[in-house]
Amino acid sequence: MKQQLDLKAEVTPQNLGEAIQQAIEIEIATIPVYLYTYYSLNREPDQSAISNALSQALVKKGLPQQEADTIALDKSAEIMVYANKVGALIMSVAIEEMLHLSLSSNLKQALAGQPQLVNKSPDIWPAYLPGHIPPFPINRAAFSLDQLKTFLKIESPKPLQEEQTNVRTLPYATIGLFYDKIKQCIAHCDLQYNTEAAQLVPGRGYYAQNNIDTVYYDKQHKPKFVNADDGADLIHVVDRASAIRAIDAIVEQGEGNQGSTSLNPDGSVDCCAITPADYDDPDHEELSHFEKFAQIYCQYVDLSNKFNELGIGDIDISQYFVLRLPTNPKTADYPASVQGVSTLLNAVYSYLYVMVEGCYRQKDNTQYELFMFGVHKTMIFILNSLCGDITMLKYTGPDGREYTVAPTFENYEFRVDSSPKSQLIELYNQAIGSTNVISTRIGQRIHDLPDVPLEPYLSTSAGKLIFA
Amino acid sequence: MASIQYSLDNNGCSGPSPSASTPTLSTTSPLELHACMGLNACKGHDRFGTNSCAGAGYCATAEAHTCHTLNNCRGQGGCGLYGSGEEQTKPGANDCAWQGSCAVPIQAERYSTQGPNKGKGTWMLARKLFEERMKTANRNVSPAPYSCGPPEKWLETIMGSYDSCGNSGDKYCSFGFNDPNRNAEELCEKSKRDDTPENV
Repeated sequence: MKQQLDLKAEVTPQNLGEAIQQAIEIEIATIPVYLYTYYSLNREPDQSAISNALSQALVKKGLPQQEADTIALDKSAEIMVYANKVGALIMSVAIEEMLHLSLSSNLKQALAGQPQLVNKSPDIWPAYLPGHIPPFPINRAAFSLDQLKTFLKIESPKPLQEEQTNVRTLPYATIGLFYDKIKQCIAHCDLQYNTEAAQLVPGRGYYAQNNIDTVYYDKQHKPKFVNADDGADLIHVVDRASAIRAIDAIVEQGEGNQGSTSLNPDGSVDCCAITPADYDDPDHEELSHFEKFAQIYCQYVDLSNKFNELGIGDIDISQYFVLRLPTNPKTADYPASVQGVSTLLNAVYSYLYVMVEGCYRQKDNTQYELFMFGVHKTMIFILNSLCGDITMLKYTGPDGREYTVAPTFENYEFRVDSSPKSQLIELYNQAIGSTNVISTRIGQRIHDLPDVPLEPYLSTSAGKLIFA
Repeated sequence: MASIQYSLDNNGCSGPSPSASTPTLSTTSPLELHACMGLNACKGHDRFGTNSCAGAGYCATAEAHTCHTLNNCRGQGGCGLYGSGEEQTKPGANDCAWQGSCAVPIQAERYSTQGPNKGKGTWMLARKLFEERMKTANRNVSPAPYSCGPPEKWLETIMGSYDSCGNSGDKYCSFGFNDPNRNAEELCEKSKRDDTPENV
């Protein structure tokens, strides 16, 4: 039954667990969206092709060859830098959403018990953030200014100017305000903290602010790191102070600090100078999620203007580095020959959550092995590889146009009659029978994963991980 | 394409027990396994078996691999592109299997992305750790064949192709406004300086 919204509804000790679970599901809802858009990018477009096409158009317009070549090289280099930078920034946000998922899961483990992560990705698209007022549609869509506007709404530090409607969950106007409700409850109520239950804690190498995917190169091909070393890390939630630190880290990374830039009242993007409040770290080296997306948006507009000032017609710069992906696809929409690899990808994506949830049931070295050799390996070498493989495939959509096959990031319901890992292997064997795009290394990597049951009572060797 | 079978018996941690009836004896000395050029402690312990002394080997004896968590065992990880700051302080000196942080061999152009070596050459750090180890062992160390580590282009000629992980592109590259060789030299020079990590 729908309840009348009440933005003033408070988080209390009685509904604290449900509120934190809602926070977890908000974080999970963002991950497939950011990843989908990330995989629509070609971070290394063909610079020669871009430069040659521009040069030819400029010569046709009447410029001398040498001048045309100089301009074309410059503009093509700007595309190279921009495409890679967009990838680095979106990936940096996706990684931090995974951090937020862990922080909110630590909160729940300390205050309300086991976080529920499996099959919590949105089932219906467009999706809506659970409880957000006003609701707004979120698509799994290719990179575009419209998609960036959606990202900015997700991360908006200020309420959106739209009409309110009924919602089912605890309502809130911004994610920061939602976390503030939880924070108020934690700050003012005498709560019991479970300091024994497993959490993902700092100092074990589970989280790194930067990796090679959050790097891009400037025009001189010098590496630029988009996340700061002093940015947020995992926090072991054991008392009121650590719980509040965890919440503050999530909110500051997402929305910045008090007084940070937001969307203009008319919904347009503020491209004015960055303020100190727009950073999320003490040394002002890393922008909030909102401001990262605002920078991408504003630089896209600037770069488009530069191209259009060349006088060679209207140029959509996204043609140089954005794949044509369908919006909100389902595996069932794809040709039968593609469904096998798409299903495998969804099962791998879902198994990630099985493993992370498993980390909240295991401690010490067992947890370490599960996280490092299960979660890390799956993200980098299985899921990322499959996403690269699947985007090499094309299909014809209902509109007759050719599309690149995209990862759909759907929940995969594992059966309970065998382990999820054994089902992953079955799906791999089926997938390689229907397509030849999957790297043979994927099979061995799946085979090397830890075997984690859906629920502890389904394990035949409780407390022990089984590899291979 | 070969399919794979699910088996609880084949445990990747321990492997099957050797049969008592077929004892296995090694009649040759195994090579010390190390992650790259210039990291060998002993004569003849590089991929070609021709090096004359410590630190002068041409190539890794550890199994080549492309990325984080794919190394077989202690000291066989390359490090630099994925992993925590702590992990990235130990190129070629990781504690255990799957804790190696990145690809082997380590091309000269690779830099650390996290920790105190951020923005500096990974091979240079690996070599520094190796030289410290040799100093403790009272061993002289010869110069490496390339003083900043094996260049990517050289590795390609030796290995046929070379690929280290990540989606942000080739570390040896130009958009038309730089000389990639000069960039590699600058990385090497910067890596020799003992200052704070490079940032944005």
